[in-house]
Amino acid sequence: MTLKMLGALGLAVTVGLTSLPAAAQGPIRIGASLSLTGTYAEPGGYQAEGYKLCERDLNTKGGLLGRKVEMVVYDDQSQPATGVRLYEKLITEDKVDAVMGPYSSAISEAVANVTEKYKKVMVAPLAATTSIFKKGRKYAFMVISPAEVYLEGLVDIAAKRKLKTIAIINEDTLFPKASAQGTEELAKKAGLQVVFKESYPKGNQDFSGLLIKLKAANPDVLAAATYFDDAVALARQMKELDVNPKMTGVTVGGDLPKFQELLKQTAEGIYGASQWEGALPYPGAKEFFDTYVKEFKHEPSYHSAAGYAGCILYGEGVKKAGTLEADKVRDALLALKTRTMFGDYQVDRDGFQTAHKMVLLQWQEGKRVVVWPDDLANGKPRFPR
Amino acid sequence: MLPRAAFLIGLVVVVVALAVYPVFGTGYGVRAGLQMFMWIALAGSWNLISGLTGYVSFGHVAFFGIGAYAGAILITTAGWAWPLAALAGGAAACLLALLIGYPCLRLKGPYFAIAMLGLNEVLRALVSYFEGLTGGGSGLSLPTLDASRAIYYVMGGLAAAVVAATYLIVTSRFGLRLMTIREDEVAAEAMGIDTFHHKLAAFLLSAAGPGIAGALTARDQGYIEPISVFPLIVTVTMIVMALFGGKGTVWGPVVGAVALFVIQEIVWARYPHAHPLLFGAIIVAVVLLMPRGVLGLLQLRYRLPRTI
Amino acid sequence: MNVAVTPAMIGQVLVSGVLAGALYALVALGLALIFGVMRVINIAHGPLLMLGAYVTYFLYSQTGLNPFLAVPVAMVTLFVVGLLLQRTLVFRVVGAPELSSLLLTFGISIALVNLTQLAFTSNLRTIEYITGSWIVGGLALSKARTIAFVFAASLTALAFVFLRSTRLGKAIRATSQSREVAMVCGIDVGRIHLLTFGLASALAAAGGGLLAVIVAIQPEMGGVWTFKSFLVIVLGGAGNYPGALLGGMLLGLVEQLASLFLTTQLSEVVAYVLLVLVLLVRPSGLLGGRQT
Repeated sequence: MTLKMLGALGLAVTVGLTSLPAAAQGPIRIGASLSLTGTYAEPGGYQAEGYKLCERDLNTKGGLLGRKVEMVVYDDQSQPATGVRLYEKLITEDKVDAVMGPYSSAISEAVANVTEKYKKVMVAPLAATTSIFKKGRKYAFMVISPAEVYLEGLVDIAAKRKLKTIAIINEDTLFPKASAQGTEELAKKAGLQVVFKESYPKGNQDFSGLLIKLKAANPDVLAAATYFDDAVALARQMKELDVNPKMTGVTVGGDLPKFQELLKQTAEGIYGASQWEGALPYPGAKEFFDTYVKEFKHEPSYHSAAGYAGCILYGEGVKKAGTLEADKVRDALLALKTRTMFGDYQVDRDGFQTAHKMVLLQWQEGKRVVVWPDDLANGKPRFPR
Repeated sequence: MLPRAAFLIGLVVVVVALAVYPVFGTGYGVRAGLQMFMWIALAGSWNLISGLTGYVSFGHVAFFGIGAYAGAILITTAGWAWPLAALAGGAAACLLALLIGYPCLRLKGPYFAIAMLGLNEVLRALVSYFEGLTGGGSGLSLPTLDASRAIYYVMGGLAAAVVAATYLIVTSRFGLRLMTIREDEVAAEAMGIDTFHHKLAAFLLSAAGPGIAGALTARDQGYIEPISVFPLIVTVTMIVMALFGGKGTVWGPVVGAVALFVIQEIVWARYPHAHPLLFGAIIVAVVLLMPRGVLGLLQLRYRLPRTI
Repeated sequence: MNVAVTPAMIGQVLVSGVLAGALYALVALGLALIFGVMRVINIAHGPLLMLGAYVTYFLYSQTGLNPFLAVPVAMVTLFVVGLLLQRTLVFRVVGAPELSSLLLTFGISIALVNLTQLAFTSNLRTIEYITGSWIVGGLALSKARTIAFVFAASLTALAFVFLRSTRLGKAIRATSQSREVAMVCGIDVGRIHLLTFGLASALAAAGGGLLAVIVAIQPEMGGVWTFKSFLVIVLGGAGNYPGALLGGMLLGLVEQLASLFLTTQLSEVVAYVLLVLVLLVRPSGLLGGRQT
């Protein structure tokens, strides 16, 4: 190729690589990447809406530190590697003032490396895996209950009913694995015998082999650590292969309104784990629910609420610290002890959440009913079998 | 006509500019540069097997992924230094290429393409299965290390190595024989060329680059999981890059990688959803309208040498 | 965790395998036809199946039409799509080096998948039309899968009758045996190519439509079907149309047995190992076919 072309190409590349947007003055810019497309698009979308609502509410109340709040959100396509790039971009190129966490444990884990490197406080509202917060990280904060206790309610109710055997299956990714392990420990402590365990690959749609073995093991309880797509496929195929344990619980997905929309009658009686429900007696929960429905024309999921709460909590930290400086905000968040519309918040030295409580819900006549724990329940569990 | 000297001077200028860049570039910029080098290495490696021999590899990202895992495992469990782990990643990829190439390249026809098509999913499943070693679906976290600038240089070296290797092959007898296989394998055999071993050699060479690149990327990202290192889009992208620039040439993959990477960076933030569509359209257009890529068109117009 | 395997479980698994096998055979037959007649390796076969699934889904969800009745509509739609693809793009690479047809159909496949993602998002869609199963002698026969099996088996049988007994079918077989001789016999080879691609797309669409009643659909569902269809052809022997039947059944059974005796994780690997083994030991397929 000609010298001119080579020169032009070199120039273009250099310009492309070195062009930097001017640092923004004025509003506080909070950056995040969310799973707007890809396998986590469903819950990721809810979280995005939560962030949007928080941005709006913070600004109506005068913003943070007297400045408007502006959220800068990119799509990480449900890929940790993309999330890593985006957080690098947000911090070094877009020069945002602060960051909020992405969706899912896997992506939160990956981007936490970036935020720690640049010493930016990151409230990660949808990271539920304990290990993320036990690696000596100083700037990562957890909002929701950890994966290990997602199905605590299921095990508790089963033990009270004097059921004997349990099967535990999980998708082979970070969060469901942790959830399955936690459930196994809880089950053993409660005196249940684990008669079957198997994990399946992400994206799996064919559970027939697994279910045939499960059926033969004949457990009283099935605890499935899932995401949304696999929970749906599992429920359908259980019906097809006539697999009917006395109690069936799934983790993520079982609480989403879409779960019932897709499965209709098949969803009846299935338990789901939820970090939050609109009907819970937390201050501002109902207001949040109503405002959300008005704004987005559909009900929020707990992902929406967690996203919203995480952002509000970060705001609380900034207000308490009186500055955006990471170390001061960090100290404020470590010391903070409060109850929001999402539930209780308190973290230990590692930023690991210790106060928030999960609830267990059950699909009864097409509606989600909170059945556990007793002090938050608004209905009783039904036992068709 | 193209004065050779001018071309070389231009090349030196670009190389020096790229070498100096990390001194004043941002973290994001260095990472972007690093990725561009990676794509040059990937597209160039794909070109070694598919461009030169005509055997289309649809699963080339498998070598990237296995390099990433081999490197990451050696770094985390055996405490290897990352440059050494990167070389090991390349070696692992070559081993995989041997395992797959041996049954598939002995045959003519589409068997190779079919086998490469399914390889990706299999490796993901295997990684998940051997979770004790690989962390399975939870992924592997590497000890924190900010080595972006060093990796930038190493990746740049890798890209240069792939281009150099391609040049050496294209101008050699070995390369000539590979291209004969591409044009008419039956005739090649009739001429006495050992097609199987030639194809296998090209295949092994084409796997080393992605293997090393995978290990380097794993070190740079600090965290890998099966879906992030075995995604189909990586294979698609390296194919598009090599095709667009001109498969079977030395500089074609470089042109294609740089052009498409820059376009991707500029357009990416706005239309990430339409990427594959765009790439699919480019592939169709290139195959039907300019099968020899941009460089092929230039070769015709400016009568550039075959070995460019 | 291992559960003791009983004969009843094996029986259940064999049933699942056979039900799945018919679908594999149906879809693979289409691919075999394209390859046999045009020597084109249609990487876009899976996405065509996926489009058939979406057509069926939307007919059902928008008009409430019985999805099994929507399948023929999907077939006709994709027949036309196939004709268009062949007429505008694919015909240019018939007879060209393999590289070209592989790359072209590859490009078409990723474009089709992405178009679908853009139009309909990657969200899963399900047809909740028929659930549950018939219990026959202790075996659970999923209603949806059994009906799909009947459809798939009938369509495949029809396809074979078509190929054997009708003039057009014989013309197709003649062209796949030898293009030159077919031309000499007065067969309009260009037209045969066109019809074959359309027919194969229709078969893939049928598979997709039937699948839509059984599993949740999403734009990327086709990719694995392309690979498995190729595997079926390799098993049965390239160019050997009845071989596709055998290959399909075999794949279905092997997969289900693998997920029973191994874990779900490994059953994906099994299909691949099967491919490599067959290529090593008997590349012309279990029933033998034409050498490519």
